[in-house]
Amino acid sequence: MIFLILGCFALVVVLLQIIGVAPGEAVQAMVRGSLGTARGWSGTLREMTPLLFAGLAVYVGLRAGLFNIGAEGQFVVGACASAVVAIHVPGVLGWILSGIAGLIAGALWAFPAGWIKAYRGGHEVVSTIMLNFMALQLTSYLVLGPIRDPSKDDATTPDVLSPMRPLLETQFDGSSFRLHAAWLIGILLILGFGWWLKKTVQGYELNATGANPKAAQMAGVPVPKVTLLAMCASGAFAGLGGAFHVLAYEQRFYNDFSPGYGYNALGVALLAGGSPWALIPAALIFGILGQSASSLQIMEVPKGMTSILLGLLIIGFAVFRYRNREVNRG
Amino acid sequence: MADFVQFLGLAFVLGVPVVLAAMGGLTSERSGVMNIGLEGKMLFGACVTAMVATSTQNAWLGLVGGIGAAILASLLHGVLTQVYRMDHVISGMSINILAWGGTSYLYSPHFTDRAFGSTIPVVPREVFYLLAVAIPAVIWVYLKRTRGGIRLMAVGNDPEKSRQMGIDPIRVRFMALVATGVFCGLAGAMIVSNTGRFSEGMTSGRGFIALAALIIGGWRPVPTMIACFAFMLFQALQIQFQGQAIFGVMLPNELWLSMPYLVTLLALAGLISKNSVPAGLGKA
Repeated sequence: MIFLILGCFALVVVLLQIIGVAPGEAVQAMVRGSLGTARGWSGTLREMTPLLFAGLAVYVGLRAGLFNIGAEGQFVVGACASAVVAIHVPGVLGWILSGIAGLIAGALWAFPAGWIKAYRGGHEVVSTIMLNFMALQLTSYLVLGPIRDPSKDDATTPDVLSPMRPLLETQFDGSSFRLHAAWLIGILLILGFGWWLKKTVQGYELNATGANPKAAQMAGVPVPKVTLLAMCASGAFAGLGGAFHVLAYEQRFYNDFSPGYGYNALGVALLAGGSPWALIPAALIFGILGQSASSLQIMEVPKGMTSILLGLLIIGFAVFRYRNREVNRG
Repeated sequence: MADFVQFLGLAFVLGVPVVLAAMGGLTSERSGVMNIGLEGKMLFGACVTAMVATSTQNAWLGLVGGIGAAILASLLHGVLTQVYRMDHVISGMSINILAWGGTSYLYSPHFTDRAFGSTIPVVPREVFYLLAVAIPAVIWVYLKRTRGGIRLMAVGNDPEKSRQMGIDPIRVRFMALVATGVFCGLAGAMIVSNTGRFSEGMTSGRGFIALAALIIGGWRPVPTMIACFAFMLFQALQIQFQGQAIFGVMLPNELWLSMPYLVTLLALAGLISKNSVPAGLGKA
């Protein structure tokens, strides 16, 4: 196992050396770009926000023994639905309604996967992959046609009527620091969910279903129902993340809305492992990676390097956790 | 009529790389290794095929290189899932992410002008046409009629029992994964032959369509091949009739492109055929 981790490290170093970048300098540039300035911090927190929601979404699924690869699709569908509402309804009412729209859209998009898993025994990984592609096709159809703003050149909706202003906006050493309410809500949601999981019967049933569905069934937990609800809740969180991304940051919906937040969320949830609180530092790490991608590109590091780092990070951690339980080498 | 023949031909050409990738998925999943990393293996195969073909100016060396790269990616999946006992889904996903990043890294300006010239010598497409029809038939005979094929299915259905019967599941699975690499490498090379160049993310989800076809085909080689071609009929419809009414109805392109995914979802729900997933899929 140590060999694998060392191998991952060595690979990154070699890949950087080949293109003539000293690994130390690359790390320095990454830290400077994401944590060195107020602006960098704002960007890191911005990248972190959708990962908090989508990471929680994947985490909820994992607790119930479900692999929600579909967070990407649920995020995009949620964002699209919330944008449709927010370009028509202004003010606080608009925020609430479009948040609910995102929530419902995400849950609906996860429902088929949950139903198939709970009542028909089909693997949720395959169904959520299929739903991801359908989400991309559906939203691309909508944004190229019915909900497109005809006055703009690229495929995008009109701007939302009342975007969420930053909660906090200050100047630090000549660069501005912005903190959005969406980030705070993401943190609170994770803390609240952690409490719910530990302290309520439903939370216990969710955990029991994930740990051992057969034993849970024997103990009287309605496993199919819990599975279906967990999948829908997972989709709802991802959809809500999409809604906040529209309201707070992007202020519109466009084609290719997500640069893969749903897939990175998978990494966030795996990194967090057993504890819901750990989602927050895990999302921060992925936020730093996302934000520092541009500083790496200034150093002429190919943009694929970030994906390589992500992939190796997931492999490195998953080798410790999420090992196949049925270890039985006779 | 000529239009119709042309349309079927288009569906066939589009289907060839999907069939090849689906056969890769089949050997792997029949041996019990869940494989959602077909897309990544194809991408690696396509990228290395283009690189080697350009630098050596030899199409066949390019093909060998692409297959080699896909085999390596496939063996990584094997090491992670069989030796390190990592979850098959996570391993497959990370291989996809690594493939996206790795090929994007190779395609960057540091390597581009050296390795990705404007003219790439490519293996003639007819070779792949032939393989896409021949390989499913060969796999079918292999699984039904040979000792090795029956062992492969046994390992996929119950690794524990086959171990007790004196078969080494890990060995069988590694052999199956080498075959997966070969077929995915061929699929990637076919895509390069089709376009004459490499571009980022050029497999565009076809590895997942292959996965879908595998489910529709019930993990059987010939039905899976038919499912691949049937799926590509939808894509051919979309290309041939772009923006025109089909059978008198005007439907959005996106609907046609979503059809394979929708059909697969219905199949997973058990509404099309009975679910016949290999019993030991994803198990240690």
